[in-house]
Formats: sequence, C-alpha cells, structure tokens
Amino acid sequence: MAVYKRTYKAYRGALTPGWSRFTVLARYGFGNLFESRLFTAYTAFCLIPSLVGLVFVYLVNSTAVQALLGIRMGSAFQVNGFWFLNFLSAQTWMSFILTAWGAPGMISKDFANHSIQLYLSRPLSRTEYLLGKVSGLVALLSCTTWIPVMIVFFVQAQLAGHGWLWENLWIARAIFVSGMLWIVLMCLIALALSVWVRWRIAATALMFAVFFVLPGFGFALSIVLRTRWGWLLNLVHTLTMVSGDLFHVPLGRLQPGGGRLGGIVPLWADWASLLAVCVFCLWLLNRKLKAREVERG
Amino acid sequence: MAAVIELEDLQVKLGNRIILDRLTGSLSGRCVGLLGPNGSGKSTLINTMLGFYRPLAGRTRIFGTDVQTGLRELRAQIGYMPESDAFIADMSGVRFVRYMAEISGLPSGEAMERAHEAFFYVGLGEARYRKLGTYSLGMKQLAKLAQAIAHGPRLILLDEPTNGLDPEARQRMLQLVRDIRDTGEVTVLISSHLLRDIEDCCDQVLILKEGRIAALCNLEEERKANRKFLELEINQANPNGFLDSVKGLGCECATFGPGRLKIVLSDNIELRQLYRLAAQHSVQIRRMNYRRDSLEDIFLKAMAGRPAPPPPPALAGRANGSL
Repeated sequence: MAVYKRTYKAYRGALTPGWSRFTVLARYGFGNLFESRLFTAYTAFCLIPSLVGLVFVYLVNSTAVQALLGIRMGSAFQVNGFWFLNFLSAQTWMSFILTAWGAPGMISKDFANHSIQLYLSRPLSRTEYLLGKVSGLVALLSCTTWIPVMIVFFVQAQLAGHGWLWENLWIARAIFVSGMLWIVLMCLIALALSVWVRWRIAATALMFAVFFVLPGFGFALSIVLRTRWGWLLNLVHTLTMVSGDLFHVPLGRLQPGGGRLGGIVPLWADWASLLAVCVFCLWLLNRKLKAREVERG
Repeated sequence: MAAVIELEDLQVKLGNRIILDRLTGSLSGRCVGLLGPNGSGKSTLINTMLGFYRPLAGRTRIFGTDVQTGLRELRAQIGYMPESDAFIADMSGVRFVRYMAEISGLPSGEAMERAHEAFFYVGLGEARYRKLGTYSLGMKQLAKLAQAIAHGPRLILLDEPTNGLDPEARQRMLQLVRDIRDTGEVTVLISSHLLRDIEDCCDQVLILKEGRIAALCNLEEERKANRKFLELEINQANPNGFLDSVKGLGCECATFGPGRLKIVLSDNIELRQLYRLAAQHSVQIRRMNYRRDSLEDIFLKAMAGRPAPPPPPALAGRANGSL
C-alpha cells in the first residue's frame, strides 16, 4: 500500500508476539498522560516529598552536618517503620491526585466514542485491555510511591551501615506491599468507576466521593448505630491500618482521635474489606467492559 | 471458489430474543453484501463473526477456522469498520490508526508507515494530523475505513459504511470498496440496507429477514443471466416475421403488449444479428434494455415471501433460501 501507488496491499511482514500487545496500550496511555504539561509538572512535584525525605535521612545520619547547622537530632528523630509509613502515606496522597486526574481519562475516552469495539475486534482480550491500562498506571504510580520510598530506604541503609539493612529488611517488604496495595486499590477503583460512568469528570468526582464522602457516611453510621464497623467504609483508614500492621506500628497509634472515636476494627476485617472492594471493582469491570451492550428484553 | 465464511445452523439469542435463527450458508464472493431491513440481524451477524456475541447454537467458520476456538488468530486477519462512531476524539487521525495497527500486531515502525499510507489511500492525507474529534462525519467514516485496512487484513467487515454520507462522499466510499475488492487480496463483507450500495460493489448477497436467511445468491451469475435477457420496443404491433426470424436464431421470444418483446438470447448470438434481422423486416428498434435491478427483484421477492424456515438437521450445511 505505497503512498504513491495508492492501492490496497495486504500486510505480510512480521508480527509482534501476541503476549506483548497489552504493552502497546500501556505505552500509548503513558504518552497520552504526559501530553499535558500540567500533568508532567505535577508528576515531578510528586517526587518532592522524596527529596525532603532524602535530606532528612542525610541529616539524621550525619553528625557533621548537624554540627555545621547547629542542630541536634537526638533519639526523637528516628528513621524507623513509623517514619517510613508516614513517608509512604505522603507519597500515596500525592499519587491519589495523580490517579484521580489521569486514570479516568485512560478508559473513559475509549468509551465516550465507542472505540472499545475497535480494541476488542483485534487480537486483544478484555483482560489484556485491562492489563494494558492497569500496567501503565501501576508503572506510573510505582514511580511516585514505593520506588522513591525504597530509594530513601536504601540510602538510609547505606548511611546507617550494613547492620541496619539486615535488621530492617522487613521495612523494605512493608514498603513494597503497602505501596502496591494502595496502587492496586486506587487503579481498580478509578478504572471501575470510569467504565461505569463513562465520563471523565464524573469518574474523578466519584473517586473523590469514594475516598472522602464515603468515610463521612461510615463515621456517621458508626456514631448513630454505636458500632465500630462503620470504619470499614473509610478506605483510607482501612489501608492505613493494614499498612500500619505491615510496618509494625501499634494500631492504637493510628486510630483517629487515639481511639476515642470508636473501637478498632479487627485487622482481618480490614483485609476482608479491601479484598471485597477489589472483587467488586473486578466484577464491575467484567460486567461493563464489553464491546457490545446486550439489551435485555 | 473456497468459502470464506461458513454459517452452520447459527443461532444467537440476546436477552430473551432470538436475533439470528439457524442461519446456514456459505459465503465465497470477493465482496459479499449483507442486506436486510433494520433489525433483521445484520449487525448481530457481524458481531458474532467478531466473537462479541456467543452463539446459542451452531457455529461460524471464517477461512475454515471456527470463530469460537480460533478467535484470536481470526481477529488478526479481520478489519472491522463499525456502524457507529468509533474513535478517540483527542487523538490525531494518523496516531489513532497507528495505535490500532500496533494492537493488531504490526511493529511500531511498520504501523506508522501503513497508517500514513492508509490515510493517503482513503483520501485524508492532508487531514491526518488533525484530531479525530474535529473531523466531519464523512471524514470519520473514511478514518474508520483507514483503521480497518491499515494492518492489511484478509477479511474486511464494513457495517453500513455509507451511513450519513452525502452523495459525493458515498460514491468515494463505494469506489474505495471496489478498489479494495479488485486487488483480489481481500474479501469484503458489507452490511447495508441500501440496495444500490450492495449492487455497486458486491458479487454475492445474503439477505436477512427477521433473523433468518431470506435469500443467498450470486449476483455475478444473476448479472450474466440478465445480460441475455432483452426487452425491446419496436414500431410494429405484430412483427410476426421478425419474431419467427429471431426464433430461427435459437432465441426464445415473447410479446407482452403491442410492439413490446422479450427475448432471451442463446449463447452464440450477438446483438448485431438482431439489428440485421430488424433491418431485413423493416422493423425499427426504438428501445432496447437489458433487464436491470435484478437485486431489487431479488430483495422484493425475499421480503414478500416468508423467511426460509430453519432447515431440518439432515440438511445442515447446505445454503437455505437460495434463489
């Protein structure tokens, strides 16, 4: 099909491996996100807490710099599990904005003008479509959540000496697992809402509602019914409790108001709640992510 | 010619309604027309071929491969142009087509090259860097065609390709379809409710009515047959001598009104022999027509009659409803 000949010609060249097709979606998804300068700038901004963290770790470990600056960071400033939990939380909150901004556009654009049928008429399954979209997001969010925190962890290990690394290797595991938990949950919620409402702005608004309005409802429920189970509607709290356990932080220390606002929900219930949300999102995606809607009747 | 698409007792149910009811037939034309009124099941049949709908019973084979078992392999060989809008509004035309070609399996460089070529081929070369959301309806249709052909498929499914196009754009679209068909490298299946579109491009037609096959026929053969069927208008009310002479050539002949004749030419007869006979009998031929609108005849007959009932199991595999 040469331009100058202007005739149709079948393609007989080599094809890319079937398993790698989902990476095309991830690559184009990335490209589309970073077409916006504002988005690129914000992504760069998301790394600022990591820079602050690096400086802090350096200060804590360098008595020479402390002396130079005339400050003394005693035992009150420790780089431990609790510190890494807070650091990771800061990164994930920045990434939440990134997800709410970028994720709905990745899918709702495909639904807005029915281009989903063009994807699925090609050698690409629904799972691969989803995998392509999710993998792009996971890669982006990893770069702004657990990867920078992990870098800070290794810098701390380097500055503190080898013994510290082996004693605190569990923190690295906690950083990775907690980070991925946040990422998977945010991605699934964002994609499921986008597929459901098929409108970028509405999906973004709904995402904020799930993370900020639903907890308020849960809190009200807890007060009115005098129960502690309303906390399960607060996804941020649930994630914090699960992460706190991974970072070996006493859960009472993470309870809002020091536990005065209700008892602590058992940890298994937090895990079950997260699992239920993930399953619900996957169910919604499976139900709505179709090339053709079938009219019932 | 080997069958490209084979339908075997295909039944599709959506919700509580049977949309396709035991379709059995074999499509082997270079360009196959899928005709039928709105709601007859044309788009459902295409969607079933693409694997979007799972049949309740029966099967569809494309290039000999079962759609249910070899779907992934088949989709790589199919180009699909849907009826409705299907694009990403804020993506440039050429980037969108390249994206789709890459998903079909073309390496990035090849996809880029063929996306540009496809845009030039459909006549949108100058507009290829514009965002798809800014295209007119006709341009969007052409862009949809470009994405359907960019990866060089062996079968192209066009669902109502001339929908909403003005006469000029419609002609351009049909010309492109004919060009693609004439390369001989690809089979085209066009779904439409416009007889002229099908007649202009197709050599085989499948007519659906209420989810069943109302007719399946080879238009090329019909056209060949019609070329031998003449309608004459002459200046004599009783041209018996002329009629006898024409019969003497071995042609069948009949009058259907004063000065109006129908003649079926035998194989070795040329038109000049008729003129010669007319001159010998001092007959003026005022009008001579080949029989036309064969598809319209076929369609009207198909619509007037009841759709062919589902074949008994013993006949499965044979085309039903063929004229």
